[in-house]
Amino acid sequence: MEDLNELKKIEQYVDQCMKCGFCTFFCPIYQEELVESSAARGKIFLTKQVLKGGQQLSDQAMDIIGKCLLCKACAVNCPAKTQVDRVIVGARAEQVRQQGLPLVKRLIFRHVMANRRLFGWTVKLASKLQWMIPGKQGKMKHLPDFLKALGQGRNIPAISSVLLRDQVQEVNPPWDSKAPRMRVGYFMGCATDFIFPETGLKTIEFLTRHGIEVVVPKAQSCCGTAIYFSGDLETGRMLAYRNMEAFKDLDYVVTTCATCSSSLKDYKVYLPENDKQRKEFEDFSKKIKDVTEFLVDVLDIPPQEFHLRKEFQGKTITWHDPCHLVRYQNIRNQPRRILQALQGSTYVEMPNADRCCGMGGSFSIYHYDLTKKIADRKVESVKATSADIVVTACPGCMINLADHLQRAEMPQQVRHLMDLFE
Amino acid sequence: MISESVLVELQNILGREDVLTAREILKTYSYDGTSQWTHEPDAVVFPRTAEQVSAIMKLANAHRIPVTPRGGGTNVSGGSIPVLGGIVLCTTKMDKILNIDRENFTATVECGVVLMNFNTRLAAEGLFFPPDPQSFLAATIGGIVAENAGGPAGVKYGVTKQYLLGLEVVLPTGEIIQLGGRTVKNVVGYDLTMLFCSSEGTLGIITKAEFKVNAIPPAKKTILAIYDDVAVAGENVSLVLKSGVTPAKIELLDNWLIHRIEEASPLGLPGEADAVLIFEVDGMAEAVEKEADKIIEIARMNGAREVRPARDQDEANRFWMARRAGFAMIFGRAPTVLAEDVTVPRGQIPALIRKCRELSRKYDLEIVVMGHAGDGNLHPSVLTDIKDREHFARAEKAVEGIIEAALELGGVLSGEHGIGLEKQRFFRRALGPTVTDLMKNIKSLVDPNNIMNPGKIWD
Ligand SMILES: Cc1cc2nc3c(=O)[nH]c(=O)nc-3n(C[C@H](O)[C@H](O)[C@H](O)COP(=O)(O)OP(=O)(O)OC[C@H]3O[C@@H](n4cnc5c(N)ncnc54)[C@H](O)[C@@H]3O)c2cc1C
Repeated sequence: MEDLNELKKIEQYVDQCMKCGFCTFFCPIYQEELVESSAARGKIFLTKQVLKGGQQLSDQAMDIIGKCLLCKACAVNCPAKTQVDRVIVGARAEQVRQQGLPLVKRLIFRHVMANRRLFGWTVKLASKLQWMIPGKQGKMKHLPDFLKALGQGRNIPAISSVLLRDQVQEVNPPWDSKAPRMRVGYFMGCATDFIFPETGLKTIEFLTRHGIEVVVPKAQSCCGTAIYFSGDLETGRMLAYRNMEAFKDLDYVVTTCATCSSSLKDYKVYLPENDKQRKEFEDFSKKIKDVTEFLVDVLDIPPQEFHLRKEFQGKTITWHDPCHLVRYQNIRNQPRRILQALQGSTYVEMPNADRCCGMGGSFSIYHYDLTKKIADRKVESVKATSADIVVTACPGCMINLADHLQRAEMPQQVRHLMDLFE
Repeated sequence: MISESVLVELQNILGREDVLTAREILKTYSYDGTSQWTHEPDAVVFPRTAEQVSAIMKLANAHRIPVTPRGGGTNVSGGSIPVLGGIVLCTTKMDKILNIDRENFTATVECGVVLMNFNTRLAAEGLFFPPDPQSFLAATIGGIVAENAGGPAGVKYGVTKQYLLGLEVVLPTGEIIQLGGRTVKNVVGYDLTMLFCSSEGTLGIITKAEFKVNAIPPAKKTILAIYDDVAVAGENVSLVLKSGVTPAKIELLDNWLIHRIEEASPLGLPGEADAVLIFEVDGMAEAVEKEADKIIEIARMNGAREVRPARDQDEANRFWMARRAGFAMIFGRAPTVLAEDVTVPRGQIPALIRKCRELSRKYDLEIVVMGHAGDGNLHPSVLTDIKDREHFARAEKAVEGIIEAALELGGVLSGEHGIGLEKQRFFRRALGPTVTDLMKNIKSLVDPNNIMNPGKIWD
């Protein structure tokens, strides 16, 4: 029998499951498929069989266990508090350990994504080829398998002609040139860098106006979620150390990507190989703030200091909770506090605002049909609000929401919270 | 094993995507909420109509293939485990709520509807389905009828059978029959509807149910009472009921659970307390106030160490969350849990709890007691580990002791979880040979080839 190193590490979480089946109710995939193997109980049972030796970690088994959005809806509602996300990531890591990464992923994770310059060039090159792809908008996907994503008929936003990193200074002093109240690192994340540089620029401007020196280290890398959630913990660790090195000696590290902020915080959960690493990752996580919590919990900016941009005056706004904010970081009230107090717009809560939009990173590439069904429910929620603008704080969600709203021929715009302000 | 040609026929009936045979997927249909048994089926099928169910049953009957119905797979008695292989007939895709009749307080639902979804839809009409198995997030209507499920609300509202007006059933031989009707009163021949209620999937596939539903009471209130002696708690239950107040729920937690609650999400319960009762009263606002006051008065006058009416709905929710987390806390503490489900006449609750403590000492085991004190249905749970032979043997002895005690106290084997595999060995003893044989005869009349969930209820 295999020694199952990575799986052994998560055996304790496998054993937490008491098979009550409540996960079926919360699992967006189960709710579409209504088949036991879609829900955490089925995946965990299979994983347990692998650990007990009654089942190989075959491709077929991994197709079942690995088919997960990692939205954590089951985990946060589990009466036994089973850490389903750790089980899934552990199983994927075991598969990588046994079989290595598939060639394409290996190339993309280890050589392209891990190398920020090369990743940028690749994306730029790809953007030059956008004319080759038919459709209304430029159709392009920022993440590892973006080439695969083409041809599925999805509406993917255009790659920005100038990447964020090429538009910003490494050090951005406060606007009033006074001594900064704090020094904060800005972690841009791949999607903001390549697709939504506006959000990054806005954020840097907003923070410097509030007396903060914003440092944007050129040496920063991809946060690594897409990589280590695929089971490549080794590359994940490498990126973690690169980012920790790049963001030394700062009061906080702020990001406008929910996935990035949860990823940087959670190196300590998924990546440590020993106590020393755990300690380093824990220390790093203490500095990380998603922009939504940074504005409310750290800066405590009074409501009247958020000035709505002209184009959004008189509009109705609703909020979509990214999984990586609401469940991975328990950030629920902060963005609502800002939005509800905004002068000039009306806030409406959408039904099931915290339900996963169906993106799940590369999940949406391998299971686009499922993504569509899950996203359609989100579209229905948006419809129920009759809002003009869907606001969120995760570029992944933004890409997916825009895709499916457009598919449903809905008029709503999708914006990042930071895009709303003057 | 099912032959290739039968599989093709199943696919012809259902379409390819609704017949699953991949080994890995079959494994995920080998279990239920228990931890002692697993067995894989040879195929899992997902019908969407009664006609498809009928075609499947005819095929299975002709080929003598066992068919095990399965809804949410949440039962805790081994009921949906296909112990002889064959087909698992999974009802999760028959999930339509067909009708809600506000005028007549009835609802018609397909068997695969999950209780939570049913209640959400009813709530939009100001209605609810009172039986409240605590597995409502995953349990289906078919499983609820087949187990005659009930929950905390049993004290006041009874269990599933009190709300069951009619059924559509597919017999093991494939006929589709309609039983009962849509009226509360109905005396036309034998009450076959009730025969299928608590049949544990051994007599046919329930495809549709007609229920009586209630209007949501306008007000409710929760009261928590703490006791130094569980016997006093038991007496308090009797005193409350005798006073003429019928709370919607009366739940009991023992000292072990009090400790776990304080560790997980503290309510400020004293560690040395022996038991906690949680009462809920519901109804018209004025009546709720009066009834709540009465309960508080009775508890204070009769030995409760502390009585805490929930200040608001938030606090009430926290009390109930603690109760609901009970099962998870128990299961989280041991590799194997033998969760008992005996039910005694309400006045015998203190006696049963004393017996559990005695057994716990005698066999040197942890036995946790919680349950529906209001209706006498207790869940003493024995913490053990099936891999530790010696320990597990002691645990099984303790379970036997609990069951014997319950029967001696005038109680029954199972209040809500059913017999399944779990309690087969006690069945004949509890009912006697004549009644057991009568049941078996009914079974062979309805299911001549013994293909419907074979291997359950009796050996
Ligand atoms: C955490 C937890 C708490 C629970 N709390 C309670 C409680 O408070 N009260 C209570 O009563 N039970 C409780 N249960 C037990 C269980 O949830 C109930 O018995 C429930 O009714 C089972 O429904 P299901 O859809 O999961 O049925 P399954 O588990 O799928 O099946 C149960 C039985 O019904 C049969 N069956 C299923 N569907 C059909 C059908 N359409 N036609 C014919 N037969 C069918 C199956 O063959 C099997 O024998 C609890 C279980 C868990 C895990």
